[in-house]
Amino acid sequence: MTETSHTVKSYEQELELLRNIMARMGGLVERQTSLAVAAVIDRNEEAAIEAPDLDPQVDELEREAETLAIRILALRSPMAVDLREIVSALKITGDLERIGDYASSIARRSMKLDIADSGISLTGLRSMGRLVQDNLRRVIDALSQRDRDRAIEVWQADTAVDEFYTSMFRELMTYMMEDPRSITSCIHLLFVAKNLERIGDHATNIAERIYYAATGQMLPAVRPRGGLAASAPSRPAE
Amino acid sequence: MTASPALSGLPGGLSLPQNETHRPMISVRNLDFYYGEHKALRNISLNFPERCVTGMIGPSGCGKSTLLRVLNRMYDLYPGQRATGEVLFDDRNVISPDIDLNRLRARIGMVFQKPTPFPMSIYDNIAFGVKLHETLSRSEMNDRVEDVLRRVALWNEVKDRLHASATAMSGGQQQRLCIARTIATKPEVILLDEPTSALDPVSTARIEELLDELKKEFTIAIVTHNMQQAARCADQVAFFYLGELVEVDSTDVIFTAPREARTQDYITGRFG
Amino acid sequence: MSGAGSSPGGGVRPDVARPEGVRDRWKTPGGLAFRRQFTDRLASGFSYAATTVSVLALASIVWTLLSRGLPGLTLLTFTHMTASPGQEGGLANAIAGSLFQTAAAIALGAPLGLMCGIYLADYGQGKLASTVRFVSDMLLSAPSILIGLFVYQTIVAPIGHFSGFAGAIALAILALPIVVRTTEDMLRLVPVSMREAGIALGASKWRVILFICLRAAKTGVMTGILLAVARVAGETAPLLFTSLGNSGWSFSPAEPMASLPVTIYQYAGSAFTDWAQMAWTGALLITLGVLAINILVRTGFGRNGT
Repeated sequence: MTETSHTVKSYEQELELLRNIMARMGGLVERQTSLAVAAVIDRNEEAAIEAPDLDPQVDELEREAETLAIRILALRSPMAVDLREIVSALKITGDLERIGDYASSIARRSMKLDIADSGISLTGLRSMGRLVQDNLRRVIDALSQRDRDRAIEVWQADTAVDEFYTSMFRELMTYMMEDPRSITSCIHLLFVAKNLERIGDHATNIAERIYYAATGQMLPAVRPRGGLAASAPSRPAE
Repeated sequence: MTASPALSGLPGGLSLPQNETHRPMISVRNLDFYYGEHKALRNISLNFPERCVTGMIGPSGCGKSTLLRVLNRMYDLYPGQRATGEVLFDDRNVISPDIDLNRLRARIGMVFQKPTPFPMSIYDNIAFGVKLHETLSRSEMNDRVEDVLRRVALWNEVKDRLHASATAMSGGQQQRLCIARTIATKPEVILLDEPTSALDPVSTARIEELLDELKKEFTIAIVTHNMQQAARCADQVAFFYLGELVEVDSTDVIFTAPREARTQDYITGRFG
Repeated sequence: MSGAGSSPGGGVRPDVARPEGVRDRWKTPGGLAFRRQFTDRLASGFSYAATTVSVLALASIVWTLLSRGLPGLTLLTFTHMTASPGQEGGLANAIAGSLFQTAAAIALGAPLGLMCGIYLADYGQGKLASTVRFVSDMLLSAPSILIGLFVYQTIVAPIGHFSGFAGAIALAILALPIVVRTTEDMLRLVPVSMREAGIALGASKWRVILFICLRAAKTGVMTGILLAVARVAGETAPLLFTSLGNSGWSFSPAEPMASLPVTIYQYAGSAFTDWAQMAWTGALLITLGVLAINILVRTGFGRNGT
């Protein structure tokens, strides 16, 4: 967008602080998510303990961001790109906080999981975890660089996450039908998969907010199931 | 971004600019304006849709007030100022020399930055303008005065002192009197040049509320330095910079997602 | 001069001790305080002295006028005409003459000045207007005896005799620039926005000037006219060459006419004590009259003006 800065320096500093808080939140939930995936896939107990421990920090940052955003709205009457950025920040920090919650939930669940000799394969979950982590990392990069093109990429990539979840669902159903003793573990894993899918959704939400903040255009409510070209926003952004 | 159906039902509405449902009351076409050698307006083309509030914003000296003063030929008072181009109003070009200026100004009224009550009674302030254009009987005049004072919500405050001096009123009351005086001549368009910049917030809110009422009947053009005011009152907003019309669009577009970088810089406070 | 609060050391709270080595910033450093106070007292002293001198001078004039003029002020002053020394006489013809000539001068000069002022404020542009303004200002400071001579040359001499009418014209010429100047100034004080508001309602220019601007400037313009009256009423020099003076009644403006200033001029130098007394009384009357107009200007108009 525009490279010029605000005439009022302190306004610029407040916006910078808000971006800073979002970046710190992004870093934290990214770490929580990778810890959670490690806890499940690699049976890493330390990771399982550490991920939920980060929650209070994330919550605190979310409150800080909200207070600051409300303060800017009240005192600066932001307009146009600033208004969009601040309203988006309110929603993005909410999404990030939810992502942190899902990651903690996955990590806690990993401790109850006992699949040592159940014969259940974690290959699918591993790939799904990698994809979700990758999407999350890219959307947080897009956020810090306010990069709408990368935001669109993430927004499109979520289709793959959904497909992974569907296949995970089918796979775990099969395990459960074959061997009723595995039901407990499978249900835990199903929740893990569901939570990963939710993390993917929130990453998509963040991508939509980044796109709106940067362009003033809303991405279509229904994500295209095919290529993006068919439904890309028609009005070229500035 | 187009206004969703849910939004357009709001009071004060989000009517889109330059569209079909509101035909243009005034059409400015390729207007240039000169103060002597200095070109103050460059190739302005802008529609003022009927029964809509058009807000004009921009930094000082950007030409927004100049445009307002072209619409009622106020610039004629000052030698050396001239306009070229077209300002179409009721099938005539307002800036052509053969226009009857007194009729033009009765049809396109103007309210100024500072309240300008004439040094006479409240009643006479209103009657003065009416008498210029109509011959009314005493009772007709009384009705007219009461009607316009009611419409600017001043009647209850002043009905017992109609014949007291208008200069004794508060600033906000004076400005509402000036608006009453303007609508008393039954204009089609009302031009407002920063009408609230000399008023306190409560008086300002009253004037803004009044604009919402008046736009049901009149086409309104308002110049303001207060962007929040433009955001609150206007249906469409035009942004001027250095004598050019940079962008005109519906108010919600201008203030959430303007197309032009210069508009964005101005409304977000990024001008050096 | 300085209250308890501002004097050095004033307002000190006894219970708060200032720590050692911390400068008291309520105190002016160095000798500045003394120098400042000294200069202040010196300047004030001069102002008071100057004011006292002028007030004393004015008081002395008023006192002399009252003490010398009052004894001669009787009913006869207003009912009888000027008479030969030794006879019972008054100033009736001089008072009437002064009233007539002043009134006629204002009746001639004020409308002309008003219109000229309007021209300068609202219509006049370029060379012509600045010339008119310059000439009017010259007239404002022209010695009044010159104006008397001018009217003598242009009216009295061609007609062949002095007349009250010529006197009124001379006074009108004196009143004219005062009215022009104040009208122009007062009209210029009317905010441009007021004119524009009138024009914006569709009123023509003359209507705006007549019904809005002049009305807004009413107080100032009236003040200007009254100041012109005060100035004109006390003039002697222009009348000496024009209306000359008359020891009897003169109802015709075509004949020489008496006036208070001229009568004072003629009587003051006289050896007859009753004429000298009459001069004092006349002077008192003019002073009171001018004073009354000034008071009227200050109280009657000054207050409700906006």
